[in-house]
Amino acid sequence: MSESEQHVIEVKDLVKRFGDLTVLNGINVKIPRGKITVIMGGSGCGKTTLLRHLIALHQPTSGAILVDGTNIVGLNEKDMNAVRRKFGMLFQGSALFNSMTVGENVAVPLKEHTDLSPEIIRIIVRVKLELVGLTGFEDFMPHQISGGMKKRVALARAIALDPKIVFYDEPGAGLDPITASMIDRLILDLSKKLNITSVVVSHEMKSAFRIADQIIILHKGKVLQIGTAEEVKNSKDSYVQQFIQGESEGVIPFKQTSEAYLKGLLST
Amino acid sequence: MKEFAGKTGQSTFFILAGVARLWNLGAAVAGYTLSSFFKKKVIPKEALFRQMVLIGIDSTAIVSLVGASVGTVLALQAAYSLKTFGALMYTGSLVCVAMARELGPLIASIVISGRIGARMAAEIGTMMVQEEVDALTTMGINPIRYLVVPRVLALALMLPCLTVIVDIVGMVGGWAIGTTGLGINSTLYIAKSIEALCLKDIYTGLLKSFIFSILIALVSCHQGLSVSGGADAVGKATTQAVVISIVLIIVVDCLATAVIYYALPT
Repeated sequence: MSESEQHVIEVKDLVKRFGDLTVLNGINVKIPRGKITVIMGGSGCGKTTLLRHLIALHQPTSGAILVDGTNIVGLNEKDMNAVRRKFGMLFQGSALFNSMTVGENVAVPLKEHTDLSPEIIRIIVRVKLELVGLTGFEDFMPHQISGGMKKRVALARAIALDPKIVFYDEPGAGLDPITASMIDRLILDLSKKLNITSVVVSHEMKSAFRIADQIIILHKGKVLQIGTAEEVKNSKDSYVQQFIQGESEGVIPFKQTSEAYLKGLLST
Repeated sequence: MKEFAGKTGQSTFFILAGVARLWNLGAAVAGYTLSSFFKKKVIPKEALFRQMVLIGIDSTAIVSLVGASVGTVLALQAAYSLKTFGALMYTGSLVCVAMARELGPLIASIVISGRIGARMAAEIGTMMVQEEVDALTTMGINPIRYLVVPRVLALALMLPCLTVIVDIVGMVGGWAIGTTGLGINSTLYIAKSIEALCLKDIYTGLLKSFIFSILIALVSCHQGLSVSGGADAVGKATTQAVVISIVLIIVVDCLATAVIYYALPT
Protein backbone atom coordinates (compact mmCIF):
# COMPACT_ATOMS: atom_id res chain seq x y z
CA MET A 1 0.00 0.00 0.00
CA SER A 2 1.42 3.39 -0.93
CA GLU A 3 1.89 6.22 1.55
CA SER A 4 -1.13 8.25 0.46
CA GLU A 5 -3.33 5.15 0.46
CA GLN A 6 -2.37 4.36 4.03
CA HIS A 7 -2.64 7.87 5.36
CA VAL A 8 -5.55 10.09 4.46
CA ILE A 9 -4.06 13.22 6.02
CA GLU A 10 -0.43 14.16 6.39
CA VAL A 11 0.71 17.25 8.28
CA LYS A 12 4.23 18.45 7.56
CA ASP A 13 6.14 20.95 9.69
CA LEU A 14 3.03 22.92 10.53
CA VAL A 15 3.74 26.24 12.25
CA LYS A 16 1.10 28.75 13.34
CA ARG A 17 1.83 32.06 14.96
CA PHE A 18 -0.71 34.60 16.18
CA GLY A 19 1.45 37.73 16.43
CA ASP A 20 4.31 36.82 18.76
CA LEU A 21 2.55 33.77 20.13
CA THR A 22 3.54 30.46 18.56
CA VAL A 23 0.59 28.08 18.96
CA LEU A 24 1.79 25.26 16.73
CA ASN A 25 5.52 24.74 16.49
CA GLY A 26 6.48 22.26 13.79
CA ILE A 27 3.76 19.60 13.90
CA ASN A 28 4.33 16.37 11.91
CA VAL A 29 1.53 13.82 12.04
CA LYS A 30 -0.09 11.23 9.80
CA ILE A 31 -3.72 10.21 10.10
CA PRO A 32 -4.25 6.56 9.09
CA ARG A 33 -7.16 5.78 6.75
CA GLY A 34 -10.28 4.19 8.24
CA LYS A 35 -8.98 4.49 11.79
CA ILE A 36 -9.85 6.65 14.80
CA THR A 37 -7.17 9.14 15.76
CA VAL A 38 -7.52 11.09 18.99
CA ILE A 39 -5.61 14.35 19.41
CA MET A 40 -5.08 15.06 23.10
CA GLY A 41 -3.45 17.62 25.28
CA GLY A 42 -4.13 20.13 28.01
CA SER A 43 -6.12 23.29 27.48
CA GLY A 44 -4.29 25.75 25.26
CA CYS A 45 -1.86 23.18 23.84
CA GLY A 46 -3.04 23.88 20.30
CA LYS A 47 -5.22 20.86 19.62
CA THR A 48 -8.30 22.79 18.48
CA THR A 49 -6.04 25.08 16.43
CA LEU A 50 -4.55 22.01 14.74
CA LEU A 51 -8.05 20.72 13.99
CA ARG A 52 -9.09 24.08 12.52
CA HIS A 53 -6.03 23.89 10.25
CA LEU A 54 -7.02 20.43 9.05
CA ILE A 55 -10.40 21.74 7.89
CA ALA A 56 -8.82 24.93 6.50
CA LEU A 57 -10.58 27.33 8.85
CA HIS A 58 -7.11 28.66 9.65
CA GLN A 59 -4.18 29.13 7.29
CA PRO A 60 -0.80 28.12 8.75
CA THR A 61 2.21 30.43 8.99
CA SER A 62 4.24 27.71 7.29
CA GLY A 63 4.09 24.00 6.56
CA ALA A 64 1.85 21.74 4.50
CA ILE A 65 -1.31 19.68 5.01
CA LEU A 66 -1.90 16.91 2.50
CA VAL A 67 -5.40 15.47 2.20
CA ASP A 68 -5.35 12.46 -0.13
CA GLY A 69 -2.11 13.85 -1.52
CA THR A 70 -3.48 17.35 -2.22
CA ASN A 71 -1.87 20.20 -0.31
CA ILE A 72 -4.77 22.25 1.08
CA VAL A 73 -2.62 25.17 2.25
CA GLY A 74 -3.38 28.21 0.10
CA LEU A 75 -5.92 26.36 -2.02
CA ASN A 76 -8.53 28.59 -3.69
CA GLU A 77 -12.14 28.45 -2.48
CA LYS A 78 -13.45 26.32 -5.33
CA ASP A 79 -10.77 23.62 -5.00
CA MET A 80 -11.00 23.76 -1.22
CA ASN A 81 -14.76 23.19 -1.36
CA ALA A 82 -14.11 20.09 -3.47
CA VAL A 83 -11.79 18.82 -0.70
CA ARG A 84 -14.36 19.79 1.96
CA ARG A 85 -16.88 17.47 0.32
CA LYS A 86 -14.79 14.65 1.83
CA PHE A 87 -15.15 16.17 5.31
CA GLY A 88 -17.75 16.17 8.01
CA MET A 89 -17.25 18.20 11.14
CA LEU A 90 -18.87 17.98 14.55
CA PHE A 91 -18.34 21.25 16.42
CA GLN A 92 -17.94 21.48 20.17
CA GLY A 93 -21.18 23.43 20.59
CA SER A 94 -22.95 21.40 17.86
CA ALA A 95 -23.35 24.58 15.72
CA LEU A 96 -26.87 23.66 14.61
CA PHE A 97 -28.73 26.41 12.77
CA ASN A 98 -31.17 27.64 15.40
CA SER A 99 -33.73 28.99 12.96
CA MET A 100 -34.19 25.58 11.30
CA THR A 101 -35.73 22.33 12.48
CA VAL A 102 -33.60 19.25 13.14
CA GLY A 103 -34.60 17.80 9.75
CA GLU A 104 -33.82 21.04 7.89
CA ASN A 105 -30.42 21.18 9.59
CA VAL A 106 -29.49 17.72 8.35
CA ALA A 107 -30.86 18.60 4.90
CA VAL A 108 -28.71 21.74 4.43
CA PRO A 109 -25.65 20.03 2.85
CA LEU A 110 -27.93 17.78 0.76
CA LYS A 111 -29.92 20.72 -0.61
CA GLU A 112 -26.80 22.77 -1.32
CA HIS A 113 -24.59 20.12 -2.88
CA THR A 114 -26.92 17.70 -4.63
CA ASP A 115 -29.78 17.90 -7.12
CA LEU A 116 -31.91 15.39 -5.24
CA SER A 117 -35.66 15.90 -5.05
CA PRO A 118 -37.18 17.03 -1.71
CA GLU A 119 -38.74 13.57 -1.22
CA ILE A 120 -35.39 11.79 -1.57
CA ILE A 121 -33.75 14.34 0.72
CA ARG A 122 -36.46 13.68 3.33
CA ILE A 123 -35.71 9.95 3.16
CA ILE A 124 -31.94 10.48 3.48
CA VAL A 125 -32.49 12.80 6.45
CA ARG A 126 -34.60 10.11 8.14
CA VAL A 127 -31.92 7.47 7.49
CA LYS A 128 -29.15 9.70 8.88
CA LEU A 129 -31.19 10.53 11.97
CA GLU A 130 -31.85 6.83 12.46
CA LEU A 131 -28.09 6.15 12.33
CA VAL A 132 -27.63 8.44 15.33
CA GLY A 133 -30.72 7.09 17.10
CA LEU A 134 -33.03 10.06 16.63
CA THR A 135 -35.85 8.71 14.50
CA GLY A 136 -38.91 10.94 14.56
CA PHE A 137 -37.18 14.11 15.72
CA GLU A 138 -37.22 15.83 12.30
CA ASP A 139 -39.68 18.55 13.26
CA PHE A 140 -38.13 19.56 16.57
CA MET A 141 -36.30 22.85 16.87
CA PRO A 142 -32.71 22.72 18.24
CA HIS A 143 -33.72 24.55 21.44
CA GLN A 144 -36.31 21.86 22.19
CA ILE A 145 -33.79 19.01 22.46
CA SER A 146 -31.02 18.23 24.95
CA GLY A 147 -27.30 18.88 24.54
CA GLY A 148 -26.53 15.23 23.80
CA MET A 149 -29.29 15.08 21.19
CA LYS A 150 -27.96 18.25 19.58
CA LYS A 151 -24.54 16.60 19.26
CA ARG A 152 -26.16 13.62 17.57
CA VAL A 153 -28.12 15.84 15.17
CA ALA A 154 -24.88 17.65 14.37
CA LEU A 155 -23.29 14.27 13.72
CA ALA A 156 -26.16 13.28 11.42
CA ARG A 157 -25.60 16.56 9.54
CA ALA A 158 -21.84 15.92 9.39
CA ILE A 159 -22.37 12.50 7.76
CA ALA A 160 -25.21 13.66 5.48
CA LEU A 161 -23.01 13.60 2.38
CA ASP A 162 -21.24 10.34 3.32
CA PRO A 163 -17.86 11.92 4.04
CA LYS A 164 -14.63 9.93 4.13
CA ILE A 165 -13.29 11.81 7.14
CA VAL A 166 -15.22 13.10 10.16
CA PHE A 167 -13.67 15.56 12.60
CA TYR A 168 -14.95 15.81 16.16
CA ASP A 169 -14.13 18.77 18.38
CA GLU A 170 -14.52 17.70 22.01
CA PRO A 171 -17.48 15.40 21.35
CA GLY A 172 -18.00 14.60 25.03
CA ALA A 173 -17.61 18.13 26.40
CA GLY A 174 -20.49 19.31 28.55
CA LEU A 175 -22.28 15.94 28.50
CA ASP A 176 -22.99 13.54 31.33
CA PRO A 177 -20.78 10.38 31.38
CA ILE A 178 -23.52 8.13 29.98
CA THR A 179 -24.35 10.41 27.05
CA ALA A 180 -20.64 10.98 26.44
CA SER A 181 -20.03 7.23 26.24
CA MET A 182 -23.02 6.94 23.90
CA ILE A 183 -21.37 9.47 21.60
CA ASP A 184 -18.18 7.39 21.79
CA ARG A 185 -20.17 4.32 20.76
CA LEU A 186 -21.55 6.27 17.83
CA ILE A 187 -18.07 7.32 16.74
CA LEU A 188 -16.92 3.68 16.89
CA ASP A 189 -20.04 2.45 15.08
CA LEU A 190 -19.79 4.99 12.28
CA SER A 191 -16.11 4.35 11.87
CA LYS A 192 -16.64 0.62 11.52
CA LYS A 193 -19.96 0.57 9.63
CA LEU A 194 -19.20 3.31 7.13
CA ASN A 195 -15.41 2.92 7.12
CA ILE A 196 -14.96 6.55 8.05
CA THR A 197 -11.64 8.00 9.16
CA SER A 198 -12.24 9.82 12.43
CA VAL A 199 -10.16 12.59 13.95
CA VAL A 200 -11.24 13.37 17.51
CA VAL A 201 -9.97 16.26 19.59
CA SER A 202 -10.48 15.54 23.24
CA HIS A 203 -8.96 15.83 26.67
CA GLU A 204 -10.90 13.00 28.24
CA MET A 205 -8.59 10.04 28.79
CA LYS A 206 -11.30 7.46 29.38
CA SER A 207 -13.04 8.22 26.14
CA ALA A 208 -9.75 8.33 24.24
CA PHE A 209 -8.66 4.90 25.48
CA ARG A 210 -12.08 3.53 24.60
CA ILE A 211 -12.11 4.60 20.97
CA ALA A 212 -8.62 5.44 19.75
CA ASP A 213 -6.59 3.41 17.27
CA GLN A 214 -3.95 6.12 17.45
CA ILE A 215 -3.39 8.81 20.07
CA ILE A 216 -1.45 12.01 19.43
CA ILE A 217 -0.47 14.00 22.51
CA LEU A 218 0.33 17.67 22.01
CA HIS A 219 2.12 19.84 24.50
CA LYS A 220 3.04 23.50 24.05
CA GLY A 221 2.46 23.37 20.30
CA LYS A 222 4.57 20.27 19.70
CA VAL A 223 3.84 16.59 19.31
CA LEU A 224 4.87 14.90 22.54
CA GLN A 225 3.88 11.38 21.66
CA ILE A 226 2.18 9.35 18.94
CA GLY A 227 1.11 5.80 19.56
CA THR A 228 -1.64 3.33 20.34
CA ALA A 229 -3.63 3.59 23.58
CA GLU A 230 -1.42 0.89 25.11
CA GLU A 231 1.80 2.70 24.17
CA VAL A 232 0.52 5.94 25.67
CA LYS A 233 -0.54 4.22 28.89
CA ASN A 234 2.96 2.75 29.25
CA SER A 235 4.72 5.97 28.35
CA LYS A 236 7.70 6.92 30.46
CA ASP A 237 7.17 10.63 29.81
CA SER A 238 6.30 12.36 33.07
CA TYR A 239 3.95 14.89 31.45
CA VAL A 240 2.03 12.11 29.69
CA GLN A 241 1.73 10.25 32.99
CA GLN A 242 0.53 13.35 34.83
CA PHE A 243 -2.01 13.89 32.07
CA ILE A 244 -3.29 10.31 32.17
CA GLN A 245 -3.56 10.25 35.93
CA GLY A 246 -5.14 13.71 35.95
CA GLU A 247 -3.00 14.89 38.86
CA SER A 248 -2.71 18.54 39.73
CA GLU A 249 0.87 18.20 40.92
CA GLY A 250 3.64 16.91 38.68
CA VAL A 251 5.83 18.29 35.91
CA ILE A 252 3.26 21.04 35.57
CA PRO A 253 2.94 22.36 39.10
CA PHE A 254 -0.35 23.65 40.52
CA LYS A 255 1.48 26.25 42.55
CA GLN A 256 4.66 27.93 41.44
CA THR A 257 7.59 28.56 43.74
CA SER A 258 8.42 32.22 44.28
CA GLU A 259 11.66 31.82 42.27
CA ALA A 260 9.82 30.27 39.31
CA TYR A 261 7.17 33.01 39.44
CA LEU A 262 9.84 35.72 39.47
CA LYS A 263 11.68 34.04 36.62
CA GLY A 264 8.48 33.86 34.59
CA LEU A 265 7.72 37.51 35.24
CA LEU A 266 11.18 38.67 34.24
CA SER A 267 11.35 36.55 31.12
CA THR A 268 8.20 38.10 29.57
CA MET B 1 0.26 67.21 18.92
CA LYS B 2 2.09 64.05 17.95
CA GLU B 3 -0.46 61.99 19.83
CA PHE B 4 -3.32 63.84 18.15
CA ALA B 5 -1.80 63.24 14.70
CA GLY B 6 -1.29 59.59 15.56
CA LYS B 7 -4.88 59.16 16.69
CA THR B 8 -6.24 60.95 13.64
CA GLY B 9 -4.12 58.76 11.39
CA GLN B 10 -5.27 55.64 13.18
CA SER B 11 -8.95 56.60 12.98
CA THR B 12 -8.61 57.46 9.27
CA PHE B 13 -6.96 54.11 8.70
CA PHE B 14 -9.77 52.27 10.50
CA ILE B 15 -12.45 54.14 8.55
CA LEU B 16 -10.72 53.45 5.21
CA ALA B 17 -10.17 49.80 6.11
CA GLY B 18 -13.86 49.54 7.03
CA VAL B 19 -14.89 51.12 3.73
CA ALA B 20 -12.62 48.68 1.87
CA ARG B 21 -14.14 45.68 3.68
CA LEU B 22 -17.67 46.92 2.98
CA TRP B 23 -16.72 47.40 -0.67
CA ASN B 24 -15.36 43.84 -0.85
CA LEU B 25 -18.53 42.45 0.74
CA GLY B 26 -20.65 44.48 -1.69
CA ALA B 27 -18.59 43.23 -4.64
CA ALA B 28 -18.98 39.62 -3.50
CA VAL B 29 -22.76 40.06 -3.13
CA ALA B 30 -22.97 41.69 -6.57
CA GLY B 31 -20.92 38.83 -8.04
CA TYR B 32 -23.23 36.17 -6.61
CA THR B 33 -26.33 38.10 -7.66
CA LEU B 34 -25.07 38.35 -11.24
CA SER B 35 -24.04 34.70 -11.36
CA SER B 36 -27.53 33.69 -10.14
CA PHE B 37 -28.82 34.65 -13.60
CA PHE B 38 -26.65 31.94 -15.18
CA LYS B 39 -26.42 29.29 -12.48
CA LYS B 40 -28.99 27.47 -10.42
CA LYS B 41 -28.98 27.41 -6.62
CA VAL B 42 -26.82 30.47 -6.07
CA ILE B 43 -29.39 32.30 -3.94
CA PRO B 44 -31.11 30.25 -1.23
CA LYS B 45 -34.71 31.05 -2.16
CA GLU B 46 -36.33 29.96 1.09
CA ALA B 47 -34.09 32.31 3.06
CA LEU B 48 -34.80 35.11 0.57
CA PHE B 49 -38.58 34.79 0.96
CA ARG B 50 -38.36 34.43 4.72
CA GLN B 51 -36.38 37.68 4.88
CA MET B 52 -38.77 39.43 2.50
CA VAL B 53 -41.74 38.56 4.71
CA LEU B 54 -39.85 39.66 7.80
CA ILE B 55 -38.76 42.96 6.30
CA GLY B 56 -41.78 43.77 4.16
CA ILE B 57 -44.95 42.46 5.73
CA ASP B 58 -43.92 42.44 9.36
CA SER B 59 -42.59 46.01 9.23
CA THR B 60 -45.56 47.59 7.42
CA ALA B 61 -47.49 48.53 10.56
CA ILE B 62 -44.66 50.28 12.40
CA VAL B 63 -43.44 52.05 9.26
CA SER B 64 -47.00 53.26 8.50
CA LEU B 65 -47.48 54.56 12.03
CA VAL B 66 -44.27 56.57 11.92
CA GLY B 67 -45.03 57.77 8.36
CA ALA B 68 -48.51 59.02 9.32
CA SER B 69 -47.18 60.84 12.36
CA VAL B 70 -44.46 62.55 10.36
CA GLY B 71 -46.97 63.62 7.67
CA THR B 72 -49.26 65.08 10.30
CA VAL B 73 -46.53 66.96 12.14
CA LEU B 74 -45.16 68.28 8.86
CA ALA B 75 -48.58 69.68 7.89
CA LEU B 76 -49.01 71.35 11.29
CA GLN B 77 -45.55 72.92 11.27
CA ALA B 78 -45.74 74.01 7.63
CA ALA B 79 -49.16 75.60 8.17
CA TYR B 80 -47.78 77.68 11.04
CA SER B 81 -45.18 79.35 8.80
CA LEU B 82 -47.22 79.45 5.60
CA LYS B 83 -50.11 81.21 7.35
CA THR B 84 -47.95 84.29 7.92
CA PHE B 85 -47.53 84.63 4.14
CA GLY B 86 -51.19 83.86 3.51
CA ALA B 87 -50.14 80.70 1.68
CA LEU B 88 -51.95 78.14 3.81
CA MET B 89 -53.32 76.34 0.76
CA TYR B 90 -49.78 75.33 -0.23
CA THR B 91 -49.51 73.08 2.83
CA GLY B 92 -50.49 70.07 0.70
CA SER B 93 -47.83 70.78 -1.90
CA LEU B 94 -45.15 71.08 0.76
CA VAL B 95 -46.14 67.88 2.57
CA CYS B 96 -46.33 65.81 -0.62
CA VAL B 97 -43.03 66.99 -2.09
CA ALA B 98 -41.22 66.66 1.23
CA MET B 99 -42.57 63.16 1.81
CA ALA B 100 -41.78 61.89 -1.68
CA ARG B 101 -38.33 63.44 -1.99
CA GLU B 102 -36.89 63.21 1.50
CA LEU B 103 -38.93 62.08 4.43
CA GLY B 104 -40.43 58.92 2.92
CA PRO B 105 -37.10 57.26 2.08
CA LEU B 106 -35.39 58.67 5.17
CA ILE B 107 -38.05 57.61 7.68
CA ALA B 108 -38.48 54.14 6.15
CA SER B 109 -34.70 53.58 6.11
CA ILE B 110 -34.12 54.75 9.66
CA VAL B 111 -36.97 52.65 11.08
CA ILE B 112 -35.76 49.63 9.11
CA SER B 113 -32.14 50.07 10.13
CA GLY B 114 -33.30 49.94 13.75
CA ARG B 115 -35.68 47.06 13.22
CA ILE B 116 -33.98 44.92 10.58
CA GLY B 117 -30.34 46.08 10.56
CA ALA B 118 -29.98 45.40 14.28
CA ARG B 119 -31.61 42.02 13.83
CA MET B 120 -29.30 41.05 10.96
CA ALA B 121 -26.16 42.02 12.91
CA ALA B 122 -27.32 40.21 16.06
CA GLU B 123 -28.41 37.10 14.17
CA ILE B 124 -25.23 36.71 12.12
CA GLY B 125 -23.11 37.75 15.12
CA THR B 126 -24.64 35.02 17.26
CA MET B 127 -24.11 32.53 14.44
CA MET B 128 -20.43 33.53 14.41
CA VAL B 129 -20.14 33.00 18.17
CA GLN B 130 -21.87 29.62 18.05
CA GLU B 131 -19.60 28.42 15.20
CA GLU B 132 -22.58 28.16 12.83
CA VAL B 133 -20.75 30.24 10.22
CA ASP B 134 -17.70 27.95 10.55
CA ALA B 135 -20.06 24.99 10.15
CA LEU B 136 -21.30 26.48 6.87
CA THR B 137 -17.73 26.97 5.67
CA THR B 138 -16.74 23.38 6.51
CA MET B 139 -19.80 22.18 4.60
CA GLY B 140 -18.38 23.98 1.57
CA ILE B 141 -21.14 26.63 1.70
CA ASN B 142 -19.94 30.20 1.36
CA PRO B 143 -21.43 32.22 4.27
CA ILE B 144 -21.65 35.38 2.14
CA ARG B 145 -23.70 33.59 -0.49
CA TYR B 146 -25.85 31.75 2.04
CA LEU B 147 -26.40 34.45 4.66
CA VAL B 148 -25.60 37.88 3.23
CA VAL B 149 -26.93 37.68 -0.34
CA PRO B 150 -30.57 36.83 0.61
CA ARG B 151 -30.61 39.57 3.24
CA VAL B 152 -29.23 42.25 0.90
CA LEU B 153 -31.60 41.29 -1.92
CA ALA B 154 -34.65 41.05 0.36
CA LEU B 155 -33.99 44.51 1.78
CA ALA B 156 -33.23 45.99 -1.66
CA LEU B 157 -36.60 44.70 -2.90
CA MET B 158 -38.67 45.58 0.15
CA LEU B 159 -37.36 48.98 1.28
CA PRO B 160 -38.57 50.83 -1.86
CA CYS B 161 -41.99 49.21 -1.32
CA LEU B 162 -42.05 50.36 2.30
CA THR B 163 -41.02 53.83 1.11
CA VAL B 164 -44.07 53.97 -1.15
CA ILE B 165 -46.23 53.07 1.85
CA VAL B 166 -44.62 55.78 4.01
CA ASP B 167 -45.06 58.32 1.19
CA ILE B 168 -48.75 57.57 0.82
CA VAL B 169 -49.55 57.29 4.51
CA GLY B 170 -47.64 60.51 5.25
CA MET B 171 -49.52 62.37 2.51
CA VAL B 172 -52.84 61.05 3.80
CA GLY B 173 -51.84 62.14 7.32
CA GLY B 174 -51.08 65.64 6.03
CA TRP B 175 -54.36 65.73 4.13
CA ALA B 176 -56.32 64.63 7.20
CA ILE B 177 -54.91 67.36 9.40
CA GLY B 178 -55.03 69.94 6.58
CA THR B 179 -58.72 69.44 5.83
CA THR B 180 -59.91 69.00 9.41
CA GLY B 181 -57.59 70.89 11.74
CA LEU B 182 -56.44 73.65 9.39
CA GLY B 183 -59.71 74.00 7.52
CA ILE B 184 -58.30 73.80 3.97
CA ASN B 185 -60.79 72.73 1.31
CA SER B 186 -60.21 69.06 0.48
CA THR B 187 -60.41 69.44 -3.32
CA LEU B 188 -58.06 72.42 -3.23
CA TYR B 189 -55.60 70.52 -1.01
CA ILE B 190 -55.51 67.56 -3.39
CA ALA B 191 -55.32 69.74 -6.51
CA LYS B 192 -52.39 71.75 -5.10
CA SER B 193 -50.62 68.55 -4.07
CA ILE B 194 -50.91 66.95 -7.51
CA GLU B 195 -49.84 70.21 -9.17
CA ALA B 196 -46.65 70.38 -7.06
CA LEU B 197 -45.69 66.73 -7.25
CA CYS B 198 -43.78 65.55 -10.32
CA LEU B 199 -42.63 62.07 -11.30
CA LYS B 200 -38.97 62.89 -10.61
CA ASP B 201 -39.79 63.51 -6.93
CA ILE B 202 -41.12 59.99 -6.62
CA TYR B 203 -38.49 58.03 -8.52
CA THR B 204 -35.54 59.85 -6.99
CA GLY B 205 -37.03 59.06 -3.59
CA LEU B 206 -37.28 55.39 -4.53
CA LEU B 207 -33.76 55.39 -5.94
CA LYS B 208 -32.50 56.80 -2.66
CA SER B 209 -34.31 54.17 -0.62
CA PHE B 210 -32.78 51.48 -2.84
CA ILE B 211 -29.29 52.85 -2.14
CA PHE B 212 -30.06 53.07 1.59
CA SER B 213 -31.28 49.47 1.63
CA ILE B 214 -27.97 48.22 0.22
CA LEU B 215 -26.09 50.32 2.78
CA ILE B 216 -28.14 49.05 5.74
CA ALA B 217 -27.89 45.39 4.71
CA LEU B 218 -24.17 45.48 3.92
CA VAL B 219 -23.22 47.40 7.07
CA SER B 220 -25.37 45.16 9.31
CA CYS B 221 -24.20 41.87 7.80
CA HIS B 222 -20.60 43.08 7.87
CA GLN B 223 -20.90 43.99 11.55
CA GLY B 224 -22.40 40.56 12.23
CA LEU B 225 -19.62 38.75 10.37
CA SER B 226 -16.91 40.68 12.24
CA VAL B 227 -18.08 39.40 15.63
CA SER B 228 -15.54 37.38 17.55
CA GLY B 229 -15.88 36.55 21.21
CA GLY B 230 -19.17 36.42 23.03
CA ALA B 231 -22.35 38.23 23.98
CA ASP B 232 -20.49 41.49 24.50
CA ALA B 233 -19.21 41.48 20.91
CA VAL B 234 -22.71 40.73 19.58
CA GLY B 235 -24.13 43.67 21.54
CA LYS B 236 -21.42 45.97 20.23
CA ALA B 237 -21.91 44.83 16.64
CA THR B 238 -25.67 45.39 16.89
CA THR B 239 -25.28 48.95 18.18
CA GLN B 240 -22.56 49.69 15.63
CA ALA B 241 -24.74 48.35 12.82
CA VAL B 242 -27.57 50.77 13.64
CA VAL B 243 -25.34 53.78 14.33
CA ILE B 244 -23.17 53.34 11.24
CA SER B 245 -26.22 52.67 9.04
CA ILE B 246 -28.03 55.82 10.20
CA VAL B 247 -24.94 58.03 9.85
CA LEU B 248 -24.24 56.63 6.38
CA ILE B 249 -27.89 57.05 5.34
CA ILE B 250 -27.85 60.74 6.26
CA VAL B 251 -24.45 61.44 4.69
CA VAL B 252 -25.36 59.61 1.49
CA ASP B 253 -28.72 61.39 1.47
CA CYS B 254 -26.95 64.77 1.46
CA LEU B 255 -24.70 63.68 -1.40
CA ALA B 256 -27.55 62.11 -3.39
CA THR B 257 -29.76 65.19 -3.00
CA ALA B 258 -26.93 67.47 -4.08
CA VAL B 259 -26.19 65.33 -7.12
CA ILE B 260 -29.81 64.73 -8.17
CA TYR B 261 -31.16 68.27 -7.73
CA TYR B 262 -28.09 70.43 -8.36
CA ALA B 263 -25.42 68.61 -10.34
CA LEU B 264 -27.65 66.76 -12.83
CA PRO B 265 -29.58 68.70 -15.50
CA THR B 266 -33.25 69.10 -14.57
